[in-house]
Amino acid sequence: MPRKILIIDDEPDICAYLAAALEDAGYSACALKEEKPTLASIAREKPDLVILDIMMPGRSGLSIYREMRSAPGLAGVPIILVSGIQNARGLVEAEKKRLDKDPEKGPPEIFVEKPILLPHLLSLVESFLR
Amino acid sequence: MRDRIIDLKQWIEENLFSAMPMSIAVIDRDFNLVLANPAFEEKFGDWQGRKCFSVYKDRDALCPHCKGGEAFKDGLPRVNEEEGFDRHGLLTRYIKHTIPFREKDGSIPFLLEISTDITETERIRQEHQLLFDQVPCNILILDRDLRIVRGNRRFSETFGELDGRYCFEAFKRIDQECVDCPARQTLSDGRVHQAHSVVLDKAGKQVHLQVTTAPLGLEKDFQHVMEMAVDVTHTLKLEESLQAALAMSHAMIATSLDAHMVVDGAGRVKIFNPAARNLFNVPPGHPMTGEELSSMLPEDFMSMVARATAPVSLSDTFISTTDDEKIPVRLVGMRLIGGTRDMGMAFTAQDLRPYKKLEAEKLTAERLAAVGQTVAGLAHGVKNLIMALEGGLYMLNSGLKAGKADRMAQGMDMLTRNTERISVFIKEFLSFSKGRSIRVKPVDPVGIALELVDLYKARAGELDIELTHEKTGEVLPADLDAEAMHECLTNLMANAIDACRMSDKKDPCHVTMNTYEKDGALVFEVSDDGCGMDYEIKKKVFTNFFTTKGSGGTGLGLLTTKKIIQEHGGRIEMESELGEGTIFRIILPRDRLPKPEGRS
Repeated sequence: MPRKILIIDDEPDICAYLAAALEDAGYSACALKEEKPTLASIAREKPDLVILDIMMPGRSGLSIYREMRSAPGLAGVPIILVSGIQNARGLVEAEKKRLDKDPEKGPPEIFVEKPILLPHLLSLVESFLR
Repeated sequence: MRDRIIDLKQWIEENLFSAMPMSIAVIDRDFNLVLANPAFEEKFGDWQGRKCFSVYKDRDALCPHCKGGEAFKDGLPRVNEEEGFDRHGLLTRYIKHTIPFREKDGSIPFLLEISTDITETERIRQEHQLLFDQVPCNILILDRDLRIVRGNRRFSETFGELDGRYCFEAFKRIDQECVDCPARQTLSDGRVHQAHSVVLDKAGKQVHLQVTTAPLGLEKDFQHVMEMAVDVTHTLKLEESLQAALAMSHAMIATSLDAHMVVDGAGRVKIFNPAARNLFNVPPGHPMTGEELSSMLPEDFMSMVARATAPVSLSDTFISTTDDEKIPVRLVGMRLIGGTRDMGMAFTAQDLRPYKKLEAEKLTAERLAAVGQTVAGLAHGVKNLIMALEGGLYMLNSGLKAGKADRMAQGMDMLTRNTERISVFIKEFLSFSKGRSIRVKPVDPVGIALELVDLYKARAGELDIELTHEKTGEVLPADLDAEAMHECLTNLMANAIDACRMSDKKDPCHVTMNTYEKDGALVFEVSDDGCGMDYEIKKKVFTNFFTTKGSGGTGLGLLTTKKIIQEHGGRIEMESELGEGTIFRIILPRDRLPKPEGRS
């Protein structure tokens, strides 16, 4: 049974690209097509890992990240946060501080700036799911 | 000779009584008049068989303090001043000599009374006294030792009773004559002298006097000097404060950074300060004429000021220098009216070059900042595009390797779509960063609005959106950059249509373009009843690259709109309610609209 990866991004082309590439690497991948993804629709997919764009028009990816981390079924899912905006790294760090997160504990998570090189992404996914 | 003297004696004995010009009368011990000369009768009228008090004073009884009674008692002659009534009942003043007539036995049966009329003399004396006291200046009489003999009433009111004291001691509290004393000069040369003197009044307060001294009497050896002193303290104070005010205004005009010019009623330039010389490039020493000044001010400005009742102000105009350079200034002109007198005109010109330079620099800085933000934001858009292109290539390559035609087609689609996006993105970005300066000319605002509605009519119809134009009241032509305004309204219109497309409503949505005037401003209003905005979105609408349209928008539209409107001196307002709709309002105050080139 392949591990399932959920892609949340407002760019349909990026969703299609990442899904194809991850499936070619042996994972099961799917993307959320909704404009405003909810916690319920994420939980429905039962992902083993989430790739989450934090700058989306409908709602901010940071709020999804915040909700996931406090939701019982999703709190342990590894997350790869992505964005094209450079200072989004700062936003993510601030958000982690706000959640009072111990970097040593909890599921693995990382911020990656777009564009993401495919080999780098695949190695991250592999290490998170090991 | 001896005979002649005997004749004279005889004449005196017989005729002197009748010939005397003074009134002579004789009274007995009962105060009956028993004898009087013709002069007496001429003065007091009928006297025979009457009492003295009746004839002299028109009384029924003896006078109180009767001098005659006293003379009967002590037998001494006396002189006194009396008031009585003449035969016409008029008040008369006279000096009366009373001489007792003594018998050999020592008794005094009669008194001889000789009266000299002083009515006229007294009148003149009183008039002089009145004049002396009432003249509006201090008068005092000094003797040859500079002792005060007399002062008039005003003098004693101001300085107290100083009769008998030395003037220098009384006025200045010093113990010797003043240097250059005008009274001393008059005493030595008999001429009129003048001087300014600072003295102390009776309360010890300083008083400034303008003093004139003149000899009292026409004889060479006159004994007294008359000193007339006018109090000029108040006048001096006024003069002093006037001089201070004048000095202050001269200093301010001389050092002012603004050009100040004053032309008098006859058109002569009276003030042309250093800043004015600098501004108009007039060499020092070159005399300015009214015509020359008028030719350097905006056409007809001087005659406009000459006709106006209030100051005339041009907040943004030009003056010409002597070498025909045009300089932007704020110019104010006003008529100078002193009472009912036309005193000419005053002008102030403030050089606006430094402000214009700062304004231009600020605009450039804002533009650069916007470009900076744009570049940062561009990176974000470009990164997404790069990933999408990489995705396209990946799909194409992996499709080729695996021989999957549909994956290859999907890759081609992704590449085509994102290449197009790049070109749209770059075009909008360039139009924003180019920051072309607006060029205005008079246009009909309603025309621009109508053109736009016409342009979008078909597109709106396809999407089942009702697009209408409204004009409320009269809208006059305005100085606008029609092309730029067209771009603004296009952005608002496109946003309104998108908002309708995003709406969940079942009924057709409406977009209305309204053009009207309000409070001296031209207003373009684009309203829709589309999806509306929530608070988060409202906060961000005017920031770079904020878009709610996903890959469909660049986020530059409203920012560009805002910039164009600011360059027209206007502002943009927004009202939006989630689910209800949005109104964007472009407000362009007419007095802040930029002026077409070549027009001041």
